[in-house]
Amino acid sequence: MNIKLNIQAWCSVQNGTVICNGKKIVSTDNEQGFSEFAKQVYKNQQWEYPKFFKMDRLSKLTFLTAEILLKELTISSEEKEQLAVVLSNKSASLDTDRKYQDSINSIENFYPSPAVFVYTLPNIGMGEVCIRHKIQGENAFFVFDDFNPLFLKQYAESLAQNNKAPQVLCGWTEIDEKGYNSFLYLASPNGTLPHTEETIKKLYTQS
Amino acid sequence: MKKGVAITGMGIVSAIGNSVEENLEALLTSKSGLGISKHIQTHHKNTIKVGEVGFTNAEIAKKLNLPKDNNYTRTALLGCLAAKEAILNAGIKSISEYKTGLISATTVGGMDMTENYWKQFASNPEVQKYIWSHHAGDSTEKIATSLGVTDYVTTISTACSSAANAIMLGTRLIKAGKLDRVVVGGTDALSKFTINGFKSLMILSESNCTPFDANRSGLNLGEAAAYLVLESDEGVALQNKSVLAYVSGYGNANDAFHQTASSKTGDGAYLAMKKALKIAGLQPSDVDYVNAHGTATQNNDLSESVALQRIFNEKSPSFSSTKAFTGHTLAAAGAVEAVFSVLALQENSIFANLGFKMTMPETGLVPVTQLQKKELKHVLSNSFGFGGNCSSLIFSEA
Repeated sequence: MNIKLNIQAWCSVQNGTVICNGKKIVSTDNEQGFSEFAKQVYKNQQWEYPKFFKMDRLSKLTFLTAEILLKELTISSEEKEQLAVVLSNKSASLDTDRKYQDSINSIENFYPSPAVFVYTLPNIGMGEVCIRHKIQGENAFFVFDDFNPLFLKQYAESLAQNNKAPQVLCGWTEIDEKGYNSFLYLASPNGTLPHTEETIKKLYTQS
Repeated sequence: MKKGVAITGMGIVSAIGNSVEENLEALLTSKSGLGISKHIQTHHKNTIKVGEVGFTNAEIAKKLNLPKDNNYTRTALLGCLAAKEAILNAGIKSISEYKTGLISATTVGGMDMTENYWKQFASNPEVQKYIWSHHAGDSTEKIATSLGVTDYVTTISTACSSAANAIMLGTRLIKAGKLDRVVVGGTDALSKFTINGFKSLMILSESNCTPFDANRSGLNLGEAAAYLVLESDEGVALQNKSVLAYVSGYGNANDAFHQTASSKTGDGAYLAMKKALKIAGLQPSDVDYVNAHGTATQNNDLSESVALQRIFNEKSPSFSSTKAFTGHTLAAAGAVEAVFSVLALQENSIFANLGFKMTMPETGLVPVTQLQKKELKHVLSNSFGFGGNCSSLIFSEA
């Protein structure tokens, strides 16, 4: 069966700015750190999900991007149940792994906290999104040197064509000492933007 | 209904025996293997019951003819023992004759040796060899080497559903024609790491666990290794092999609820069972026996019971958890219980859910509490892991 996927919606987050489907949703002072920015987005969007503040930085980034993207869509709970999630980045969960290792190395403040430990995997942020939206389709997280639009395209198409999932939440969610950026999109039979390597790349770079 | 992928051999080492035969004997006589640990030096030794394999490391190393300076962890030792039995049981003489794979599950990897020696790693050259056997893939590589498997070797670590997922992946590889046969299963040794971890979650029972009981007080950890040999229909026909049973269905689903707890509504478990039935082309009413995950934690047993009621529309088939025989063997559990499910089919027997006294008020479900003889055609086996990784397998009679 040949199912044609489109990019139904997309959202990107970087340099203190959130852009969803080309529209600026949040724009803040780029000088502030990620945690301050995340808090500001949370307040701006008037979310009531205190668990957000327990998450590590990568999970917050993944969560807030997905939250804004999914809000812009009309997607039923049945569709969410079957939705697949395929994310990627470069630094896995190193940002939190380092924090956790520091707590082990510290002689004065030795305390490897379980609350930090549970976030020492890159796919936990994806899990937080699934928990929030009751998403129960296939999910996978990949680590690449660079943003890899061809891989995302092929993986999403394979899931759709093998009847594993009618729609796929795809993207890139990256954070390290140097900065952060994320880009998520919904690959779906709906929508008008073609799901091609070029378009995915274009949306990622221009945002 | 589709037949599924053939199982042609099995091997197991657990707290209730060092071979398939010994395990079967204990299951048929309802003899639990739980007790006080003999091999692990832990503060909790006298306050917890564990399912420990009787052999010492030295005894297994001798059985495997390993050189004195080997760096085998207990996880690898147990794994090699069980995998060799499976190969023997399948009557395989030449591994290279067919395209053969190994998919082995583990969660604890080489932690048993690391926790004994890590303080000496920097200073004592004699124990540094165990640094190289720490990672989860080490036991798989050692098992592959001892069997001579080279075509496809991989390790799965998805908490307590690991071995079920190894069986599922192997089944799919056979179905897709990627391999002619595959050894699938898992191995996990007891370690202080897991004992202390589960202790800190306050889900370790001080007495023998009582799955599905209203007053259940948590789980017992166990160690084990178990493997199945899966073969393609062509291979079975060409070699005129006898088939023990078939893997007819499998399903894996995400509970999407919590990092360590299962949802009260058992969503992941429900979806996994639903998918497995669909793959097998079976109706819920076709399932004769459920070998439940049944860890005897408050959370799992309630969640699983609710899921069973949902999938079977309140008419739950006979079910039991065999965790009170072996303890919860983590990454090996799915394979241990796959062996038990095949034995149940072969013996037309439902093994006892030991320790059960009082029905859970929330669901009113009553497991099978004594060995029961019954004609079995299809057995469903559940394995649910932390992170909401839920798997169900269906085994069907040959």
